[in-house]
Amino acid sequence: MPRSLRVLITYLLLILLALFMMGPFLWLLSVSLMPGRNVFANPPAILPTFIAFDNYVQVWNFMNFPRYILNTVIITLLGVVFNIILSCLTAYPLAAFRFKGRNLVFTLLISTMIIPSATAMIVHYLTIQAFQLGNTFFGVVLPAAVSVFNIFLMRQTFLGIPADIRDSGKMDGASELRIFIQLVMPLVKPGIAVIGLLEVMAFWNNFLWPIVVLEDPEKYPLAAALTYLNGQFSYNFGWIAAGTMISVLPIILVFLFTQKYYMEGIAGAIKG
Amino acid sequence: MYKGFRSESFTAWAFMAPGLLFLAVFTFWPIIYGIPLSLTDYSVITETNYVGLENFTRAFQDHNFLISLWNSLVYVLIVPVIQIISILMAILVNSRIPGVKMFRAAYYIPVVTSMVAVALIWSWLLGNNGVVNYLLLKAGIISEQVSWLSTSSTALYVLMFITMWKGLGYYMMLYLAGLQGIPADLYEAARVDGAGPLRLIVHVTLPLLRPHILFCTLISVMGAIRVFDEVYILTKGGPGTSTLTSSVYIFQKGLEQFNFGYASALGLIVSVMVGALSVLVFRLNRKGGVNSY
Repeated sequence: MPRSLRVLITYLLLILLALFMMGPFLWLLSVSLMPGRNVFANPPAILPTFIAFDNYVQVWNFMNFPRYILNTVIITLLGVVFNIILSCLTAYPLAAFRFKGRNLVFTLLISTMIIPSATAMIVHYLTIQAFQLGNTFFGVVLPAAVSVFNIFLMRQTFLGIPADIRDSGKMDGASELRIFIQLVMPLVKPGIAVIGLLEVMAFWNNFLWPIVVLEDPEKYPLAAALTYLNGQFSYNFGWIAAGTMISVLPIILVFLFTQKYYMEGIAGAIKG
Repeated sequence: MYKGFRSESFTAWAFMAPGLLFLAVFTFWPIIYGIPLSLTDYSVITETNYVGLENFTRAFQDHNFLISLWNSLVYVLIVPVIQIISILMAILVNSRIPGVKMFRAAYYIPVVTSMVAVALIWSWLLGNNGVVNYLLLKAGIISEQVSWLSTSSTALYVLMFITMWKGLGYYMMLYLAGLQGIPADLYEAARVDGAGPLRLIVHVTLPLLRPHILFCTLISVMGAIRVFDEVYILTKGGPGTSTLTSSVYIFQKGLEQFNFGYASALGLIVSVMVGALSVLVFRLNRKGGVNSY
């Protein structure tokens, strides 16, 4: 087969696959931009025949979006900050220190990956209630404040840092904490970026746990509010389509602007 | 100044303390506490009693639970399909042609969007007068509209399709990382020996992707057994019990009906099953179930 034909077939396959993976989103975008048109019209509206933002304006005014976006941002920020701090602190000694009980910690961490807990959510619910954190953002964030996966990912990053850095810090009489914060942390920014991104997506998209913990729908993050909206106004497709677009766009933009780090992180995780 | 091993141990534990505390409460505790909880009839309403193994004997006579286990096992059928399609996708996006990175990103977008959004979109596309029925009718594949998500014979497979669709990009990226780690001269050598594209894939690509296949199979098996979000959003287990998966059933028993004791017992049974399946995947892979060198 000549090379040009091969390239042509490759592009054809790439485009067909892109239609399959992106088509549903493009269709949603087109439905959300055509107020008054029935999603279930025959033939279905695949390309917009006209464009108007009525759905967006109406659902924005109706649903108190700024509120839900603020909730989502608070939950996501809290979750990301907790995950970065806790996984860096826990991973650093596992990569750089020799200490008693190191193997024990490793065994414990790995065992959680092998023994799954199908009822974790039930126990989390009881724990959060016992801590009186029901109906709070902390109740939403704390169960996912640190993960074994992130700890291993950060450990992998810390392993790539030369030991001389810590030794030279010690020679200058710096404390371990100062060495960690001022010398080591600036060198693991790529690892931190990866964890940050993974957690931004996880917390932004989380819907079930927030619904379980938060009694007050006013505190819902976007994804949870969307299920709520769908339950209440399932007949108003245009609104829900616009609402869905509003909830999905930020995360798609974050992904598109950071995909280099993100993809590297995903690929790196398999080695770690 | 070097302060010795003991002080280093102390510092290490001090660093790890906050993280380990959180893990203890939210990762280790649920695994441990599930066991005593499963031996009680703990619920919010009534007094708690120790009931021995009653929850477990009840579980194996609970028709709905057995159906949910079966549905979860059926769900695992997506695992080989996911591997095949995502490996082919990875090979496709591994081509060195302009613009290929854009396509990679496009295929990844379903992965980063929330399951709520994905589920809603597909529920409209799959509606009676939706795009899917329209296209299939046009193509002559079906002769009348199908209510994909409210017909018991199709609903589970449709959910499996949605799960697969959302995950393909993720597995594609993992396999792509594997492909990019294969040295180009290996392909060169095989080509010199007269191997065609298909033989290159079977004899060079697949054997070298084996660790990736193992990893992806493991996480997709666990994902399939634990599937929850798409089922809960779209069918809540219905129609009837046709899409009732074990996670959904445990959630219903635990956090909707507050039978914490019984739900914990169900959870333990499922956990043991997931553990057993993971071991099975490891064994199959070691014996060269995919392809041996």
